Amino acid sequence: MFKFLKVLVRNIFQGPATEAFPLQPAPTPDRFRGRVQLNPELCVGCGICKHVCSGDAIRIEQDQEKSGYHFTVWHNTCCLCGSCRYYCPTQAISLTTNWHNAHTEKEKFQLAEYHFVPYAKCEGCGAPIRILPPEISARIYANTPFDVSTIIHLCPNCRQIATAEREQEREHELKGETNEAITE
Amino acid sequence: MQDTYSYLVFLGIALFNLLIFPGGLFALSLGILFKGLDRKIEARLQRRVGPPIIQPLIDIVKLSGKEAMLPETAQRPLFQSAPLLGFVGMAICAALLPIPGVSKGLPAMGDMLVYFYLLQLPAVALMIAGSSSSSPYGALGFSREMTLMFAYEIPLLMIILAVAMKVGGENFAEFSLINIIEYQAQHGQFIANWVMIPAFLAYLFFLPGTMGVPPFDIPEAETEIIEGPLLEYSGAALAFFQLTGALKNIVVLGFGVVIFFPMTLGDNIIINILWFAIKCFILMLISTTFVKSATGRFRIEQAFSFYLKIPALLAAISLILVWLNY
Amino acid sequence: MNFLNNIATKSPWLFRINAGSCNGCDVELATTAFIPRFDVERLGCKYCGSPRHADIILITGPLTARVKDKVLKVWEEIPEPKVTVAVGICPISGGVFRGGHSIEGPLDKYLPIDVNVPGCPPRPQAIMEAILLAKEIWLKRIEEAEHKGVRHVQIS
Repeated sequence: MFKFLKVLVRNIFQGPATEAFPLQPAPTPDRFRGRVQLNPELCVGCGICKHVCSGDAIRIEQDQEKSGYHFTVWHNTCCLCGSCRYYCPTQAISLTTNWHNAHTEKEKFQLAEYHFVPYAKCEGCGAPIRILPPEISARIYANTPFDVSTIIHLCPNCRQIATAEREQEREHELKGETNEAITE
Repeated sequence: MQDTYSYLVFLGIALFNLLIFPGGLFALSLGILFKGLDRKIEARLQRRVGPPIIQPLIDIVKLSGKEAMLPETAQRPLFQSAPLLGFVGMAICAALLPIPGVSKGLPAMGDMLVYFYLLQLPAVALMIAGSSSSSPYGALGFSREMTLMFAYEIPLLMIILAVAMKVGGENFAEFSLINIIEYQAQHGQFIANWVMIPAFLAYLFFLPGTMGVPPFDIPEAETEIIEGPLLEYSGAALAFFQLTGALKNIVVLGFGVVIFFPMTLGDNIIINILWFAIKCFILMLISTTFVKSATGRFRIEQAFSFYLKIPALLAAISLILVWLNY
Repeated sequence: MNFLNNIATKSPWLFRINAGSCNGCDVELATTAFIPRFDVERLGCKYCGSPRHADIILITGPLTARVKDKVLKVWEEIPEPKVTVAVGICPISGGVFRGGHSIEGPLDKYLPIDVNVPGCPPRPQAIMEAILLAKEIWLKRIEEAEHKGVRHVQIS
């Protein structure tokens, strides 16, 4: 029955277990899920993050002049689930350990991660496209037999044309070979 | 002429007792200090840092600057006078409190029966507050406060009777606090007297009930009936309740010290005041602070049967032993 | 009077309103209050049961249709000067519940919110930061009221 007295006495001798937080920085675990951060170098604007975002916090909008797209994460509706980081094909999204989110009502709509990712021009037709970052294209096209640098600066339409031309050449070559074999 | 003069002197002493020492300023500041120490020690016992010691004072300063709201359906005169009633009762109690070796309280009026009535005033004030606030939670708090009051009054009455009969001896009973102090100075402290120890233990059980701390904070249970009678109070009225609580702590603790171990240390006034404060503090530590930091809350019927079983039994043992002239 | 105001803001009493929350933020608030590791009582805070005693109001939840009127009513009952803190993403923007059929939508449509602390739920330390921010706003508000000569005593 008097076990609590033992606990109380032990508590007094152990001293308080309180963190000195408002006076000193609080310890934060390394894997803490804090604010979402985007690396605009790696983002290709595929929109899978927007699709999986449970809080509808991510918005990807094209510029009116089609010179790029705006990537916005509004922290005030982000539920820190980390789905965007999990599904991002290019690892452009990461979660920082920053949890200092308290802000006044005035700053409510300023609390967002915002990036403008510019488009480049297609070398074939001049249409605006987002060019794959070199690291990613190296990874994706690692097993492709031909030189990728020829199609990497092209828009999908121009790539179709380029591919068609390439295939035609190969066909011609193949035909030539077979003809030679027949004549022999 | 002589009468007027002595009357004026008596009035002066009474006012001094009521406003500065031992009531009024002294008791208030000591009570607020005790409340702060209580919160601090409770936090330490729970491995927390706890608020600064002057936190109760800060609370009172803040509350007096807040907007005071009055519910439309409340019984206004009663609702507004309830905090004052409890405060006045406790202020008179504090003025009547003799501090052994220092002051004799209001001359010739320090009577235990007066105490027995005045000690119930804060509880009565809470009851009035609860019933006049027109809130269902207030009504619940009212009924709980009343049940609890009846429960802890019985042991208190028996303790007072035991002490009075012990001191009275052949004259059956002696209720004057000053005579009780003198009797103990001559015949030894009651706390060291085996006849009175059950009564002292009963008084220890009585303290948390009357001070309204866990496990007996049933009328003001903030998680169950959202602070019951205090629910509708805000601003300065609430500050008055806090002050009443601070005064009441000193009064009940001081009363316990006076009737059980009023030993003095020499004749120095300052040392005696400090000694009195330390005794009150130790009493508070063992009766409330340790218990409240480790316990939850009784249900009202549990508290009722607890008070009628253990403290009443202990007090009755003392009473019977005193009756049999041990 | 500046001195007294400074003192007064050292005792913020907290009151929780649950506006249809999933209880995640409420658990985090309870953690902030009762676990020795965080201990808001050190800052002078106290969780009070009655809205009449509160200074800083912590609101959690996206304000559902069923609870909306009650929340607004309780908020009215809190005496001035008060500071309102929206805890979690739900009261700020609706969060994951935004656009639901029973969600009356962000709280600042109906109440003047002062401090937001997003998170799902926010860390106890983040809530403490919000309370500190709210204290500053509270002090500013008391001083403004004094400047205007408004006395915060009224009979409703």
